Amino acid sequence: MGNVDSMSVRDCSEPALVEVQLMCKRFGSLGFCLVIAAGPTGLSAATAKARADSPFTEHQESHWAFQPVTTPAVPDAPRGNAIDAFVAERLGERGIAPGPRADKVTLIRRATFDLHGLPPTPEEVRAFLADESPSAFARAVDRLLSSPRYGERWARHWLDLARYAESEGFKSDETRPNAWRYRDYVIDSLNADKPYDRFVLEQIAGDELWPGSAAARIGTGFNRHYADESNAAILVQRRQEILLDITDTVGAVFLGLTYGCAKCHDHKFDPILQADYYRLQAFFTNVATDDEIHLMSPEQREERRRRQAEWELATRDIRAQMDALLDEKRAEAYQTQVNRRSPETQEAFGKPESERTMYERLLFQQHMWQMRYHNDAKLANALVDEAKERFRALEAQLAEFDHLKPEELPVGIGIREMGAEAPKTHILSLANYAAPLNEVEPGFLTLLDPEPATYSPALGGRSSGRRTALAKWLANPVNPLPARVMVNRLWHYHFGQGIVRTPSDFGLMGERPTHPQLLDWLASEFMRHGWSLKHLHRLIMLSETYRQTSSFREDAAEADPFNRLLWRFPPQRLEGEVIRDSMLSVAGRLNNQVGGPSVYPALPEGAAEPRGGWDVPEQQHEQDRRSVYVFVRRNSRYPMLESFDMPDTHESCARRATTTTAPQALALLNSEHTLGWARGLARRVLEEAGADRNRQIQAGFQLAYSRAPDAWEKDTALTFLDTQSKIIAGRAAAGEALYVPDTFPEAMSLEEAAAVVDFCHMLLNSNEFVYMN
Amino acid sequence: MRKKTSDPLAARTRRAFLAQAGGGLGALALAALHADTGLAASDALAQKRPHHEPTAKSVIWCFMEGGPSHMDTFDPKPALEKYAGQPMPESYGRPLTAMPGTAHNTLMPSQRKWARHGDSGLWVSDWYPHVARHVDDLAVIRSCTADGLNHVGSVCQMNTGSILAGRPSMGAWVTYGLGSANRNLPTYVILNDEVRINGDSKNWSAGFLPAAYQGTLFKQEGAPILNLETPGGVGPGQQRGKLDLLAALNRHHADKHPQETELDARLQSYELAYRMQAHAPEAVDITQESEATKKLYGMDEERTALYGRNLLLARRLVERGVRFVQAYCGGWDAHRKIEENHTKWCGVSDKPIAGLLADLKSRGMLDETLVIWGGEFGRTPFNEQGDGRDHNPWGFTIWMAGGGVKGGQTIGTTDELGLRAEQSPYHVHDIHATILHLAGLNHLDLTYFHNGRSERATINGGKLINEVLA
Repeated sequence: MGNVDSMSVRDCSEPALVEVQLMCKRFGSLGFCLVIAAGPTGLSAATAKARADSPFTEHQESHWAFQPVTTPAVPDAPRGNAIDAFVAERLGERGIAPGPRADKVTLIRRATFDLHGLPPTPEEVRAFLADESPSAFARAVDRLLSSPRYGERWARHWLDLARYAESEGFKSDETRPNAWRYRDYVIDSLNADKPYDRFVLEQIAGDELWPGSAAARIGTGFNRHYADESNAAILVQRRQEILLDITDTVGAVFLGLTYGCAKCHDHKFDPILQADYYRLQAFFTNVATDDEIHLMSPEQREERRRRQAEWELATRDIRAQMDALLDEKRAEAYQTQVNRRSPETQEAFGKPESERTMYERLLFQQHMWQMRYHNDAKLANALVDEAKERFRALEAQLAEFDHLKPEELPVGIGIREMGAEAPKTHILSLANYAAPLNEVEPGFLTLLDPEPATYSPALGGRSSGRRTALAKWLANPVNPLPARVMVNRLWHYHFGQGIVRTPSDFGLMGERPTHPQLLDWLASEFMRHGWSLKHLHRLIMLSETYRQTSSFREDAAEADPFNRLLWRFPPQRLEGEVIRDSMLSVAGRLNNQVGGPSVYPALPEGAAEPRGGWDVPEQQHEQDRRSVYVFVRRNSRYPMLESFDMPDTHESCARRATTTTAPQALALLNSEHTLGWARGLARRVLEEAGADRNRQIQAGFQLAYSRAPDAWEKDTALTFLDTQSKIIAGRAAAGEALYVPDTFPEAMSLEEAAAVVDFCHMLLNSNEFVYMN
Repeated sequence: MRKKTSDPLAARTRRAFLAQAGGGLGALALAALHADTGLAASDALAQKRPHHEPTAKSVIWCFMEGGPSHMDTFDPKPALEKYAGQPMPESYGRPLTAMPGTAHNTLMPSQRKWARHGDSGLWVSDWYPHVARHVDDLAVIRSCTADGLNHVGSVCQMNTGSILAGRPSMGAWVTYGLGSANRNLPTYVILNDEVRINGDSKNWSAGFLPAAYQGTLFKQEGAPILNLETPGGVGPGQQRGKLDLLAALNRHHADKHPQETELDARLQSYELAYRMQAHAPEAVDITQESEATKKLYGMDEERTALYGRNLLLARRLVERGVRFVQAYCGGWDAHRKIEENHTKWCGVSDKPIAGLLADLKSRGMLDETLVIWGGEFGRTPFNEQGDGRDHNPWGFTIWMAGGGVKGGQTIGTTDELGLRAEQSPYHVHDIHATILHLAGLNHLDLTYFHNGRSERATINGGKLINEVLA
């Protein structure tokens, strides 16, 4: 074992055959359908390699997802658009009639939750109900699509896929500065309906393709959202872990394939060779981080440089004294970090920069990235006694010149390369960085294109151009996967279930499309219309399939119990972000400010402050931003969002779980947050309705559910307000604390006002509020 | 005015429901209901059948965070005396260590006094005098190995199998595999002392499993669970009035949307929350325990009071059907001054752990409760900074006791110096496979399909440590 670092030992150690048997056994015990995989495919590569010319089985080669996208003829249909025709055809085969249209209130709520992640305002509902023209819904959809709220809502879906977080993860979970600009970039891209092919090109190679565009370069941030360890001793290993993360993510998100399964061995089921995994990785072998994507014009930067010089001049002496105190510590810290490296790495760092190989330069960049966390503030904390006092005094002096200091430069972060010459990429035995096997060149799926990719240096030789080649393949209409994968994702977010119900697994173990022809038709339509997402939204939302009611039908359920064929719109629990935003919205508190650094809303009482910090702003209004702007700390998701299934950001998430748990109920029932929102809603109710109970109930239902209460509800609510006031009266008389709105009509007693808060609180907790029909 | 509904729950008043739910009966009734209505799919915590008869109903994991030294506690290494002051013989090589170059440092013998204990004659150092009285119940596994060099990765691996974050923790797997035995309490609970846990919540994360399976960190003060208490501005009668309104609204809504099992599940989640509110404070109310019991756990002494309280709490929780409790302790990261550090943490943990074992035994609970002691790794035979020891994932000790464990034995060995596991090395995955086995789960059958792969707790490894089994 000697010098082999034990951290490198990977877990995949079973002989392949045993694993296949185990997997089959396990699937069997879970009742999985193995029709696809248990045949020759089940023993994929091992058996297949025996075949003469192809490493793949016929089964793998003929798998639907790898066939070219076709443009199927639209079947004749009694109603609706092309989507409805395809859906009706499948329903017809089972003798199921499509559902009738949903009522208009349901429809406007559905569309608004779907596109904005918010309930419609009473005015929006009124306007929609008043518009009796046949194109009323089309107009509503257009209105929703042209609002900035749309980008905020749909960005969250993409951020799930991008494993977006704003901190490093691992132990210290430090804030990753400027990561949020990627979030704003996604929001902006969606709002501008940036063609998806262009968006993909930017994600993978924005820096090489549009070096003059800060936005395109920030787009490369997609491959920057890996977790990172500022305390890692073995840089070689850390670098490899990052490359694994990037490869897994790119394979899953753009190609809908479980590439990750092939990092240790040929994929057990899909035609993805282990070599293919590293061929994909080779496109990224040369990536370095770019922490300085400037967002200012050259003139602005010049101005800033001038002011910076001014400040530096004014503070030169103070800073020199501070440096004197810290220099030794800095050198020590640097040396300690260097000493932790393996001998080869240490040797490389000892060379002058010009003599380092590209790989060594990349490692050194990583090393310097780590050093940022041994910054002056930290070193100053380690000073003792007199030195510390002196340092603090100097700090205070320095602060007196803050008025001269220019603001931090606005910069974004992303990916770049440091030259055209990329380090070699090897297949790794069991993905172990210390166990390289054959060298590979960048390349695509062998099944689709066995040759190495062709590429040439970009940016006048400052970048390898590898990623440009990959990006173009991922945005190429001939590639059978990306368009299909993306239209399916859209479908999944609209209906809560994809045409392929495993949105990031189009392989043999993934589910088959319920409507293969529709999927292809949508994919080709998508590409024909310039990869426009908004075009797809319109197509989908204006279909009768989308507009049908979510009502249950016994006969249809008998024929298709899981609604795979869409005989009704699938009702869905709102996501945590939507629940929070909706409550803020009906409480009249939602702060609609767009973009900018993330915010830290208050944590529930008693929750520990996450490591890495949680800096709650004093102003409540600052906290009441939309959830997409809530800081995403990788190791500590915001508690309310986490309890409502916000995914772990350590890997890409294509499909959120929907759980129903007691802690969710506790959060909505007992947290000060929800009670605060209930007070906000109560205030609005009372502003509208005054002291009249009937009108209060009316207003509450209208604001929370966009509809009037029925007779039973009105009666129940009236009884509640009456008895609840009486229950509270004792507490009010005793002078105990009560939750009442900030203002309420003079004609009302404290207990009556508190009862309205209780009523509103329960509206927010109710199923009708958190489910979309 | 209330409409009749087909939901048997809705037909009852909430109060009747609560009355019935007093004991474990409520949970049973609920599970049965789920089985009948097919709700199980959306009810993540419904009880599930184990793969085989479990020998441990619950697990209490005394997690010695920071890495206790095995060669100063349960794995004596007299050879260290022989080589004292010399570097390791060349044959051992120079492993890459957490702190640069410590493998070149000289070997440091243990300063502890060692004795054999119990009928089994197991060796325990004088740092663990109280635990030593229970050796006949302990299976001391001296040949454990792990993959990580630093704490955050290693604590993560000991909990999730991987040094990288993102996988479900063992408690989450057990909860996923078995469901809840008492819906009034969380199924998987984490208790911490005053030292922050490396990596925080990712150690009790559900990873890619649904969030319902993640662990719940109990707060040390006030209500143990976030949002458990009705806020001060809401009276008890008032809260009940609100919940009744909510139930009415939800039932009315459900009538309009028949066959939506998720709506039922959500309606019930409020009943569960209400019951949790009633029961969780009782579960953590140790004033109900006798002075003698508190003393047994060392709660009468300052240094053992906190950990003693946590382990007493652990017993109360497993008594009430909580399946998986982890009680973190320390602080054991003795890169320097190991004498000082380990004297402290052994002192903190010795009496409480011994008290736990004695208490479980006297209540007849030890037979059905698996108790685990250990850290994320052990420590090195060579010194660091003269009086400390570095991290050692290549060979270290954990022990198990209780439900289904054959006590009074050591399993496996480390080499002469205690650097590496030698005979019968057991990886973290093997420890995990064994824990699952004792809990009634087969680690090869307990799978969750995720990203194209049938994932399991032991990833691609794991073999049962057969010697552990009684």
